[in-house]
Amino acid sequence: MTTDVHQHLWPPQFVAALRLRRRAPRLDGWTLHLPGEPPWELDPRDHDVAARAALAAADGDERVLVAPSAALGLDRLPTAEAEELAGAWLDGALALPPPFRAWAGGGSLDAGALSVALDAGAVGLEVAADALAAPDGLDRLAPLLDTLAARGAAVLVHPGPAGRAAAEGRPRWWAPVVAYVSQLHAAWWAWIAGGRARWPRLPVCFAALAGLAPLHAERHRARGGDPLPSDPLTFVETSSYGERAIDAIGRVLGIDVICHGSDRPYAAPRLPDLGEAARHALRVRNPARLLAGTSQEAPA
Amino acid sequence: MTAQFLLAGHDTGDGRLLTPDALARIAADVAARPELWRPLLDTRATVRTYASLHREPDLEVWAIAWLPDNDTGWHDHEASSGAVRVVDGALEEHVLRIGGADRRSVYGAGGTFTFGPDHIHRVTCAEGRAVSIQVYSPALWRLGQYTVDEDGVLHRVTISYADELRPLDARAVAAG
Repeated sequence: MTTDVHQHLWPPQFVAALRLRRRAPRLDGWTLHLPGEPPWELDPRDHDVAARAALAAADGDERVLVAPSAALGLDRLPTAEAEELAGAWLDGALALPPPFRAWAGGGSLDAGALSVALDAGAVGLEVAADALAAPDGLDRLAPLLDTLAARGAAVLVHPGPAGRAAAEGRPRWWAPVVAYVSQLHAAWWAWIAGGRARWPRLPVCFAALAGLAPLHAERHRARGGDPLPSDPLTFVETSSYGERAIDAIGRVLGIDVICHGSDRPYAAPRLPDLGEAARHALRVRNPARLLAGTSQEAPA
Repeated sequence: MTAQFLLAGHDTGDGRLLTPDALARIAADVAARPELWRPLLDTRATVRTYASLHREPDLEVWAIAWLPDNDTGWHDHEASSGAVRVVDGALEEHVLRIGGADRRSVYGAGGTFTFGPDHIHRVTCAEGRAVSIQVYSPALWRLGQYTVDEDGVLHRVTISYADELRPLDARAVAAG
C-alpha cells in the first residue's frame, strides 16, 4: 500500500477547538497565533478534507498519515487545555475518510487515553522532538512509550515549537531549516543514547531525515561512541529533502528504514530518483514495517 | 546476528573501511556458521533470494540464494569493496575487457573472489542452486549498471542497491 507517513490536515473539530481558545496557540479565522512567533495566515484549502483526499489520489497515495503538528506546542499547555485539544484532534482525525489515518497527538494524553486512541484506529503517537531530546525527556514520555511498545504502535518524532528562534526578524524558512533540524538532530541522538535500549521493539520514525543526525555517526565514533549496528525499527522520513540528502542518509542507514513522507501542505511530495525498487521500499515496504503493529496489512 | 560476532577477531579499525582480504576472512567466518543464515534462505524460491545478515555504514553482509539462470548483468559497486564466498553450487565471475572477450572464472563451494571499487563484473550462477556469502565495505548504496547498445557503446546507469539486490518481485528476507 503506497503510504505518505507525514502530512498535516486539521479536521473541523480540531480547527473549532483552536478557534475557541483566547490565548495562543489559537486560530482567529484562518490566522494562526503561536507564542513568540509572528501570526501565520493559513490557506483554508490546505485543511479541506475532500481537496486533500483528491491531492492524495493525484499523488498516488493509498494511505496518508496525518498529524496535528507538534510544532504548535500544544503538549506544553496546562493539562486540562492540552487534553481537550488532544481529544478534539482525535475526534476529528479518527473520523477522516480514507486514505487518511491519524497519529494521536495535538496536546497531551495519558497512557489510558492513548490506549483508547489506538483501539479507535490511531497508528501511533506524534511526540515533539525537543520534548524527547530534553535531559528527562525519555523518563517523561516513558508511560506513553511503554503503551506504544506494548501495542506495537509507532512514534512519529516531529519538531516541537520553534518559539523565539523563529522570531526576531528571521526569514520564514528559519524554523524549518534551522530550529526544527536542530531539534530532530538532538532527538535522534537522545534516542540512540538511551531510548532504543529501553524500548527494544518500539517502531520510531524521525521526521525530516532526523535533521540529518545519522550523518554524524563518524564523529560519534571518533568521540568515543560505540559502533551503531543497523536498527530495523528506527526509521526516518523524507519530508522536504531531495536526492542528495536522502542519498547521504541512505549510505549510513541503508534503504530499509527510510520512509516516504511529504509534510504536505508545507512541502510537496517528492520521491528520489533511485530506481523503482528504492521507491517501492520508501513508499510501500518500509511504511508497512513501521506500521506493522497497528495495521492488518501484511508487510509488503 | 550481531556486529560483535562478525567483528570478533577482525581488525575493523575505528570506522575504517575494510580491505578485500579482510572482507574475505569475514565471509569465510560467516560461511562456517550456516545456522546463522541457512534458515533465512528459501531453497524452494523461484527468484533469487537475499538475507541481509548485517549492515552498518562500513560493513554489510548478505547471504544470497541463486537460481541456475541468474545473471546480475554488468555492474560496479561505486565506492565499495567486496568479497563473495561460495558455499553451495558454483558462481561464474565475468570481468569486462574492452576489445577482448570477458575473463571468466568459476568458483565452486569454498571458493572466494574479491574486488575493489574499481572493479566491473557480472556474476552468473554456474552450477545448481548456488548459495553465497557476500561482504561489502562500505555498505552498498549506489551501484553502476552497464549496458552495451547496438553500436557497442557502453552506458552506465546509477541505481540503488535495492534494485540490484532486491528486485520488486524478490522475496527479500530481513534478518531483524
